[in-house]
Amino acid sequence: MPRESGYSGYSGYSGYSGYSGYSGYSGYSGYSAFGGFGGESPDAALALTTNRDGIVSSKLDKITFPAPGGWDDPETIKRLSPEVRAALYQSELAPSVEVTASLSEAGPTTTVWRRMGRKQGGEREVKMVEMTAPDITQLATQLDYVMGYAQIRTDRLAEVTAQIGLSEPFYATIGYMGPDRTPYTLALLDAAAAFSFTVIQRTKFSLGVKRPIEFSPQVQPMIPTPTHATLPSGHATEAFMIARLLWKLLLASKAPQYQESYWGEMLMRQASRIAINRTVAGVHFPVDSVAGAILGLTLAQHIEAEVKGTQWTSSSFDGPAFSAKEDFNWTQIYDVSDDMMFPRMEHDGCVWGTSVADRKGTGQVSPILSWLWDKAVSEWADIGGAG
Amino acid sequence: MLKWIAADPAEDDVLSHTADFRLGRAIHLDEPKDWWSVLLEIEGSIDAFAERAAPLAEDIIIPVSYDSEDREAPASRQPFVLFARQRAVTAFNYEPEAFGILSLLLGAETPARFLDRHATPPPMTEIPVSDDTVVMAVIDDGIGIAHNLFRTGPTTSRVQFAAILEAEPLATGSHASVGRALSQQDVEHLLTQCTNGAYLDEDLFYTATGQVNYLTQVFSTVALRRSHGTHVTALAAGYEMEANVANRPIICAALPARVVEDTTGVSFLPSLYLAFHMLVKQARRFKTSAGRAPVQFNFSYGNSGGPHDGTGLFAMLFEHYFGAHTQCPQKAWLTLPAGNSNLQRLHAQATGAKTKLDLDVLPDDRTTSEVQFWTPFNEGREPMPVQVTVETPHGAVSVLGTTDTMSQRLIDEDGREAARLSYEFIGAPVMRGLFTLNINATASHLDEVLAPSGTWRLEITRDLGQKPIEVPPVEVWIRRDETLPGFQPGGRQAFFSNDDYERFGAFGLPLPVDPKHTTSPIRRAMTISGFACGQAPITVAAYTEREEVVSLYSGAGPLNRPSSPQASDREGPDMAAKGDDSFVLPGVLSAGSRSGTIVRQGGTSVAAPRVARAASSAIAAASGTAREWASDPLRDDPHGITRFDLKDGTSQRTGSGGYAIAVQDHLPRPDAER
Repeated sequence: MPRESGYSGYSGYSGYSGYSGYSGYSGYSGYSAFGGFGGESPDAALALTTNRDGIVSSKLDKITFPAPGGWDDPETIKRLSPEVRAALYQSELAPSVEVTASLSEAGPTTTVWRRMGRKQGGEREVKMVEMTAPDITQLATQLDYVMGYAQIRTDRLAEVTAQIGLSEPFYATIGYMGPDRTPYTLALLDAAAAFSFTVIQRTKFSLGVKRPIEFSPQVQPMIPTPTHATLPSGHATEAFMIARLLWKLLLASKAPQYQESYWGEMLMRQASRIAINRTVAGVHFPVDSVAGAILGLTLAQHIEAEVKGTQWTSSSFDGPAFSAKEDFNWTQIYDVSDDMMFPRMEHDGCVWGTSVADRKGTGQVSPILSWLWDKAVSEWADIGGAG
Repeated sequence: MLKWIAADPAEDDVLSHTADFRLGRAIHLDEPKDWWSVLLEIEGSIDAFAERAAPLAEDIIIPVSYDSEDREAPASRQPFVLFARQRAVTAFNYEPEAFGILSLLLGAETPARFLDRHATPPPMTEIPVSDDTVVMAVIDDGIGIAHNLFRTGPTTSRVQFAAILEAEPLATGSHASVGRALSQQDVEHLLTQCTNGAYLDEDLFYTATGQVNYLTQVFSTVALRRSHGTHVTALAAGYEMEANVANRPIICAALPARVVEDTTGVSFLPSLYLAFHMLVKQARRFKTSAGRAPVQFNFSYGNSGGPHDGTGLFAMLFEHYFGAHTQCPQKAWLTLPAGNSNLQRLHAQATGAKTKLDLDVLPDDRTTSEVQFWTPFNEGREPMPVQVTVETPHGAVSVLGTTDTMSQRLIDEDGREAARLSYEFIGAPVMRGLFTLNINATASHLDEVLAPSGTWRLEITRDLGQKPIEVPPVEVWIRRDETLPGFQPGGRQAFFSNDDYERFGAFGLPLPVDPKHTTSPIRRAMTISGFACGQAPITVAAYTEREEVVSLYSGAGPLNRPSSPQASDREGPDMAAKGDDSFVLPGVLSAGSRSGTIVRQGGTSVAAPRVARAASSAIAAASGTAREWASDPLRDDPHGITRFDLKDGTSQRTGSGGYAIAVQDHLPRPDAER
């Protein structure tokens, strides 16, 4: 039974729906379609019992044995329920990081550690993301942005409310996605979102940066302010992580149309729009989106590295070095055409973000995640053209 | 308790009561250093004025768009715009003779951060263009200059000049005393800078142009999905990028959308004047082999105030630059909307000896309201005596006559003013008496005296003598004071509410024209925009395509007659163009704020640029004036324009009639195909 697995605790992330809306799961309902009958209902159980009584007959003398059960065999995944699969994906991703907090003169710092070599023995932790919070005066300056963006709330009302949960429909309007067409892609994105959720929440918790609503009675956000801290923006993290993962899938599909950078650029514009809409709504500072984009883009690369054992990226965000008078601009962080974060992110020579893109991977493939990844990639392959 | 008193003579001798009333509001009291845009009419040259105003040199900025030629030009009366600190405005208003000022119109408060005393004039080098070029000049607010319909490629623009009046000036190298002036090179540089891969980041672009800055609360409607100026400019001068149109360069000026939350009755007129002056100068740069290229202007703005005979300040603007007396070597036409106030009950006519008007001032109106009573044209004779009585909703009564010298002020126990009733005689070319009733806001977060909301009863009394039938009426207009959705000041439109006004016909539809033999003083006639009454411009009414009728809101003539010899001879709008697809699809489609988008917007504002587009194809070859062309636009080569028969068009509502004007393929419903 899947509930016996060590990761059964993750089934609790149906509770996440209030935050980042894993509505994608509901897409799986197609899988479990027994029509109007079946499942675990007493009616069905009684019917099946009496039915058996009617047809069972006496015990067979001889039966042919099936092959023994697969040992950690990804081929069996396809016969598992969506919930069980999701638990398996988390069993791979969740132990891949650890988040720690420290307090120094620079202020609270959160580090996301990458746990390397845990399957090969000789486990070690390497810094993957280091994030320092901006100070309160910077946030007070950034509050002017929040007030300024409030002027376009009416214009963005529909988007803001539609994006309270996970914004897969907004990506599905760019990449041809849906539960019937791309179930593995959606499962991958959901797994990534579920994985990132704990990282995001732990990072937010450690940095403890206050929301705009606590700075002024005039912010009056247009949606309820979530209870957790503001930086990094969870929406920005998820949005940029999803955008980059999708871009990686498109590239990996080898479909000729998807090799053009304008696909990746549009995905990033979408992520940026979602992130900025949270500032419009009055629940985030622009700097939250900056930190979120750095975290999300790094996690996307980390997930690919976990899948394939390939290179990963480390990054940092130095909040106090970020000029509070600057707005969020994703093009300072990530280059679509090279699928790479910039080594230096700066304003007028003051570096507030860094990344090292070619950190050496383990070379070890995750069979479970790789199974999912490859199926997701195949969903984007071009079909047709034979005439 | 509010009560009326006659003003203290020492405080009442002012050139503009409206300016004085506005500056006395709580929000402006004790703010002598605040900057304002001001439209002055002065005697003599601008240089001579500057000399007279030398003691106030620190408190005024004469925009660099007035070059030395402009500044030296002598004139017995000339309008010009400057920026002045409040203390200078007050000095001008109280001692106009000392500065040679003939009239003063207070514009909008303009924060110092938008002004640049050290700006240098923009380059005025010639721009050689092909002989079939017509310069398209647009003044509006929220103009998305990066829209693909104004480009010829990803980073090449047809915008040759853009004045952004509401922007913080560049730190160095500024060519505008207010906001920014962008050359084509500047625009293209920013387009390149803001293009990331395949896409232009338009959010970034409008931050770079200074139109939007969320940090410093600079806002333009280009930040929204729909912006008035983008929609209008695309109707007048938008072409597919791929068409590579070279003979319709665009020069434009984006007016301040909402610089500050001034609730005292912002007037756009000074900004309009300045923007027009800037564009006139820029238009002169375009040279064909035969001389200066023609220029087609469009301002999709209107106002309900003014004398409505073609002698108002705005009406005279075009005459000042392009009138017959100027011998301007450049052919210029101007299209203006007829206005949208046909059914708004903003106009009334006092025809008899005694006329009663009910004025409903709404609660929660955070801006001032203004009513103008224009007496008949005098032709230099002694004005016919007129008295205006105002009774507040609480019963406080005031009477003011044409022979009274002091204004009446509605004050509270602390002497704070809630309303003012004043009278002045406006000299040539207007030659009419003007009563003005200024009413304070009815709601405010400030500690100020509020005017009561409710029905204010107005009465106009006249001694008509022996032949009352020959005495022209007193014409009354309520100044437009509606805050558009999304804008901040919070104005609510006051209106006339006499019981005898018939709003609806037998079948429940609003009546678009005054019923015959109506006894109501409230009139749909003469609701044409006060801006659109001049002699030269083509004034455009709106029609609703599917129902083939004049759009209900479209302002109508006639003009206020008799009037000065310098007044206009028009009956109303010159022609009508599409303002709405149908009753259920009001508005027409045109450019949204972002490239590749189309949005819906209606009103005579969208009919005017359609005509501008058609006129731009006719202006070069036309032998007559713009209005002569408008009287029969099909006479010569019609260039995508066909007649559109209206069921209810009249000369006072639609001039020479309705015309279907093709815009282009980017709009999904080509209009010429009916």
